[in-house]
Amino acid sequence: MFNFLLDPDFWFRLYEVPSLERTLYFLLAFVGFYWIGSIFLRPFLRQFIRPTPAANDIVGYILSCFCVFYGLLLGLIAVTAYENVADASANVTREAASLSALYEDVSCYPEPYGQNLRWLLRDYTRYVIKYAWPLQQRGIVPEEGTIRASAIHEKMVEFQPQTPAQEILHAEALRQFNGFLEYRRMRLLSVKSALPATMWTVMLLGAIFNIVLCWLFDMKFVTQLLLGGILAAYLGVVIHLIFDMNQPFRGDVSVSSEAFEMVYKRMNED
Amino acid sequence: MSGDEITRPEPAPLPRRQAPRVSRRRALTEGAAATLAAAGALSPVLFAGCSVGLPKREPPEVLVGLLNSQTGPMAISSTSLRDIELHAFEQINAAGGILGRKIDPRAPDPRSRPDLFAKRARELLDKGAVALFGCWTSTSRKAVLPIVEEFKKLLFYPVQYEGNESSRYVVYGGTLPNQQIFPTLDWMTSAAGGSRKRIFLVGSDYVFPRTANLIAKKYLAAKGLKPMGEAYVELGDRDFTAVVKKILASGADSVLNTVNGDSNLGLFAALSDAKVDPDKLPVVSTSVAEDELRSLLPKQVRGHYAAGCYFQTLDSEENRKWIEGFRREFGYDRVTGDPMEPQWCLVHLWKKAVEKAGSFETEAVRQAFRDGLEFAGPGGPVRLDPKTQHTNKFFRMGRIRTDRQFDIVYALEAPIEPDPYPQIAFPGWGVDWTKDGVTRGAEVDINGNV
Repeated sequence: MFNFLLDPDFWFRLYEVPSLERTLYFLLAFVGFYWIGSIFLRPFLRQFIRPTPAANDIVGYILSCFCVFYGLLLGLIAVTAYENVADASANVTREAASLSALYEDVSCYPEPYGQNLRWLLRDYTRYVIKYAWPLQQRGIVPEEGTIRASAIHEKMVEFQPQTPAQEILHAEALRQFNGFLEYRRMRLLSVKSALPATMWTVMLLGAIFNIVLCWLFDMKFVTQLLLGGILAAYLGVVIHLIFDMNQPFRGDVSVSSEAFEMVYKRMNED
Repeated sequence: MSGDEITRPEPAPLPRRQAPRVSRRRALTEGAAATLAAAGALSPVLFAGCSVGLPKREPPEVLVGLLNSQTGPMAISSTSLRDIELHAFEQINAAGGILGRKIDPRAPDPRSRPDLFAKRARELLDKGAVALFGCWTSTSRKAVLPIVEEFKKLLFYPVQYEGNESSRYVVYGGTLPNQQIFPTLDWMTSAAGGSRKRIFLVGSDYVFPRTANLIAKKYLAAKGLKPMGEAYVELGDRDFTAVVKKILASGADSVLNTVNGDSNLGLFAALSDAKVDPDKLPVVSTSVAEDELRSLLPKQVRGHYAAGCYFQTLDSEENRKWIEGFRREFGYDRVTGDPMEPQWCLVHLWKKAVEKAGSFETEAVRQAFRDGLEFAGPGGPVRLDPKTQHTNKFFRMGRIRTDRQFDIVYALEAPIEPDPYPQIAFPGWGVDWTKDGVTRGAEVDINGNV
């Protein structure tokens, strides 16, 4: 019944679910887990702690202590995941900016080099928006951009400057091109970047321990469902946030192709 | 026993364990909460387990391979072929795909190298491509031929070529010598073309120019003419100084040019350096279209000619719409040209065949060819001849303008039917894929003397 949880495709496809709906799934999964445990496991677990005097106080102390460490862990992981997205976003912006600068540089080349290079740069930008981005959103590293980058490089080295001004322009264009290649490579590397499996294991085990500790409280059943349910719901939402930021090109908190779209629009204005 | 004897009180009987008193209200509240909790708890698991809520999975995309050089000497010509193929598939996908399935076009780079064409074709077919589109030079097509025959998949080839070939697994959309070379020579030798009888043949050194020139020589011989000379350079070479000297020394009054790719830059630069006047010594090219003109300097090519089935300046509503659609996607400074139009038509003929067959399977698609598929292309209506798996072609002669476009100076009214084995060059040879396939005649040495 739970085999689907081991299928990576299931988790990838979760990114395709609208954000609000996906948050609800995480929330329901955590609350559901807590409630199921409250019904079936809580009576069994409480047998171990009931004879202890002031059991609720002890559980409360342990839970507080545990929550400090777990909260810190969640916070640090969330920051790491966000930084991952922010780094990818910065690389994308830099790649688009260097592409735009390169476009301006080659526009000053004599014809037919200038026009050919402008076409190739436009073609590259179009490919990134139309083909590479959807692939990146599916966690696939797009390959055909490399061909287009090679075509640009081939045309650039074909140009032989004839004047000192052209030499300076060509040197600057080649420098821009190298920068563009570097940022492009970093974008491709970030397509598959994600939190390591160990982090997810620690995070999920922490959430389970948190919930188990809540089951140990001695209180009215309805109160248990309500208070523990609120805690589980919040855990679900926070873990969903980390899941959303886990891969830079997937989910709502992800890098969009907007920077390239702006450059492409500018290129087509000429 | 003394009076102050302590009397132990009777130990109080242990209280009987009583069943806890539960009010009806509490029982109802907790029962409802437990039921609600159980239902709520199980619902996401059940939902997730059944994959309800996840977006519906679309039917798997159909992979097609685009074999066009994006780097190397042929990139100048064939990059635009890739673009028009992508444009066609993007439009098809936007309209819902074919048989309800989206098309996934993959375009690796064979880098103008025949060995890489074969390698890329094999990789694409290994990945499950149902058909291949592209190739430019005959050498690249011939490198891919054994691969498509091994995998029994179709190659849709859009470029003009020399004929003398037929494969069950290739659909040829470009012009054949009887659709391009013959009418070109007819025009050059006619009054409209300046009655030029002293023709020099120049080409790249590979199978198309060699065979096309063999056919040209035989056709000229049938008219009682003989070329003033022949010269070939390696594909990609740009040094034509010696070739131009040879042309000028021969006393030729016109040149039939079968040079391919960016070698044309060298040829026209050398002609320009030699101050060749296109009115006195016009060059009629078979492989120069609008796309190649973007890399040629207008002052070097203005006034020369190109023979083809399509020019961007063709005045028709269908053509205007097609150009607008392409430019909207790829930029308003982009141009359309000869092999792009046949490739557009080939993609749509394939779509029609697949829809008619109700399958992407090669044999089913080939069966659908049998009734003669037609498509209204930008250059005019196109019909796929099921016997030869070639298309009929219009013939047009264009004169190069300074704005890198062509004035159409001559055109045949009706399209020319395809003949991959013109009897003047390949006696005894023929093909009919609706019957026995290829009929073999005597072997012809394409490097032999006429």
